[in-house]
Amino acid sequence: MATTAAPQSSAEARPLARKKFQPAEVAFEWALRLSIALALGALVWLFVSVLTEGASSLSWDFLTSKASSSAARAGFKNALYGSLVLMMITVAVAVPLGFAAATYLEKFAPMSKDELRVIAMRRQRALEHRRGHGLSGIRLLLARIGVAASRVWATIGPPINRIVEVNISNLAAVPSIIYGLLGLALFVSIMGVSKSLLAGGLTLAILVLPIIIIASREAIRAVPSSIEQGAMALGATKWQAVRSQVLPAALPGMLTGTILATSRAIGETAPLIVVGGAAYSTKVPSLNPLQAGDQPLLAMPLQIFDWVERPQETLWGPLAAAGILVLIGTLVVMNLIAIVLRNRFSRSW
Amino acid sequence: MSDERTAVTTDEDEALAVTDQEPRQSDPRVGDGPGISVAGPAQGSRDGAQQETVVFEASGVNVHYGTNLALKGVDIPIYRREITALIGPSGCGKSTFLRCLNRTNDLIPGAAVSGDLTFHGEDMYAPDIDAVDLRRRVGMVFQKPNPFPKSIRENLAFGMKVNGLKANDDAIERVLRRAALWDEVKDKLGDDAYALSGGQQQRLCIARAIAVEPEVILMDEPCSALDPISTLAIEDLMRELREQYTIVIVTHNMQQAARVSDRTAFFTVEQPGDGSRYGILAEHDHTEKMFRAPEDQRTQDYITGRFG
Repeated sequence: MATTAAPQSSAEARPLARKKFQPAEVAFEWALRLSIALALGALVWLFVSVLTEGASSLSWDFLTSKASSSAARAGFKNALYGSLVLMMITVAVAVPLGFAAATYLEKFAPMSKDELRVIAMRRQRALEHRRGHGLSGIRLLLARIGVAASRVWATIGPPINRIVEVNISNLAAVPSIIYGLLGLALFVSIMGVSKSLLAGGLTLAILVLPIIIIASREAIRAVPSSIEQGAMALGATKWQAVRSQVLPAALPGMLTGTILATSRAIGETAPLIVVGGAAYSTKVPSLNPLQAGDQPLLAMPLQIFDWVERPQETLWGPLAAAGILVLIGTLVVMNLIAIVLRNRFSRSW
Repeated sequence: MSDERTAVTTDEDEALAVTDQEPRQSDPRVGDGPGISVAGPAQGSRDGAQQETVVFEASGVNVHYGTNLALKGVDIPIYRREITALIGPSGCGKSTFLRCLNRTNDLIPGAAVSGDLTFHGEDMYAPDIDAVDLRRRVGMVFQKPNPFPKSIRENLAFGMKVNGLKANDDAIERVLRRAALWDEVKDKLGDDAYALSGGQQQRLCIARAIAVEPEVILMDEPCSALDPISTLAIEDLMRELREQYTIVIVTHNMQQAARVSDRTAFFTVEQPGDGSRYGILAEHDHTEKMFRAPEDQRTQDYITGRFG
């Protein structure tokens, strides 16, 4: 400001600029609008066509009638019950495993070789100290095994953790039909589970496991480390701090991820077909998941697939469309629950 | 000792003539004159013999983060039922040293402490020492208030339960009263702790720390995220807590160190020229001595605002 500028270059002298038409900017903005319209348009078209075809068949009777070879009497009950039991098994298996794995990977695995070596050395010194104070017999043996184990883990632990970490992301990207093959080999062939709801539920569980682990890790990571440190500064152990403070704070996020993962599983068809999904059974599956081992593997997407494949399209088409509406409705409800959970319990730290 | 204290508040003293950047609150305990006023005898003189008990004794304490030396050769005793302030420029290792005192450095990947550090004469870093039990006896309040995302009551009850103490209503009330928070929260003990103001949250964190009945409370810049009124409330609280607890506080605020502490330790950064950079303890003494007549030139420069 102190320099004396020529009057024409000074800010006061120049008039304010007028708005200019910017073609590139306008074109870009409309291109963005067009792409979202296309994406949503496809969905809307799908929904409308399913709605017009299936609305007439969608009724309470449709939901509560058993499967039948006659289109006029056929209902969705078997498939609905089958999917319900599948979800129970999937959640019961995948949630504990997924939450535990995520907690380990996020809170206990990230230790370097050096740190683990320090821990092993500390244990060794503690052992010698306790030996000096008369530790002997079976307890000495156990302590020795503990020290040896932590030494071994200091060497192999970090690479193993790293491999696990990399592969969990890869697993989430594996096509679901591969999980079907895995389920068939592991549960049906090796473990001898019959081709039932149980085999299907277990297969879906390993299918959603990586997704649950990744989502839960993110939820745990979102809890600031100051919470854990605050708990440990009060004399809590690492486990107490994680269990009582970190995990409860992360739980809404973990549940949101679980619901989204489960809603993916509910629509899966391919892995169930591979594991041995029944295209048609008049038996209504029991809702008791403990009996799932000898219930026919029925599910909503399998039933829809079966109806769509039948030759008399005019007869079965509306039923398939109604089934799709039920499936979409279920997914919408689950996603809404996830959104409500997230909005209700999310906090800014 | 109390003699030295009364001798302090001579305003004309050159060493004290630190310009106040911010107008100070009209606080009766703080002198009206310019410059830093050191806590006077108004705090109540206490039994001189009793407070000479050493709680922590550091000699030759080094801290490494990975291969980097962060803090070198710290020798300092910390006395019972006194407030010891750790001051110094950024990166001088004062927070690092504070974290050694309850072994929270253990929780930071790659941190390693060497040298001798004793707690009541016992080697704190001996291999068979249970750091969890140590942390129960040496509580900590962090820079940013970090209440648990739960109710006020649960914030206090967690530490008590973990340590096998009864967390009934009486105990909760007693702790909140001691932290001068009871009147503000007595009707909303079930409310989320994050609904409190920042200053109240920090006092809740102090309450949470004293709820587990520690001997020592470490405070890592407890007021740096707070407004002046809340800061004042916390300083008041510290003076009361000193009757029962040993307090070590890290602060960036020299006026705060002068107002609340009995002893001050000045940390500074040393750069030997080979590219390394680490913190050292330059000087420690009674607070009034440190602010009136520091022996070390670096302390003098720092407290008169020439650097830092």
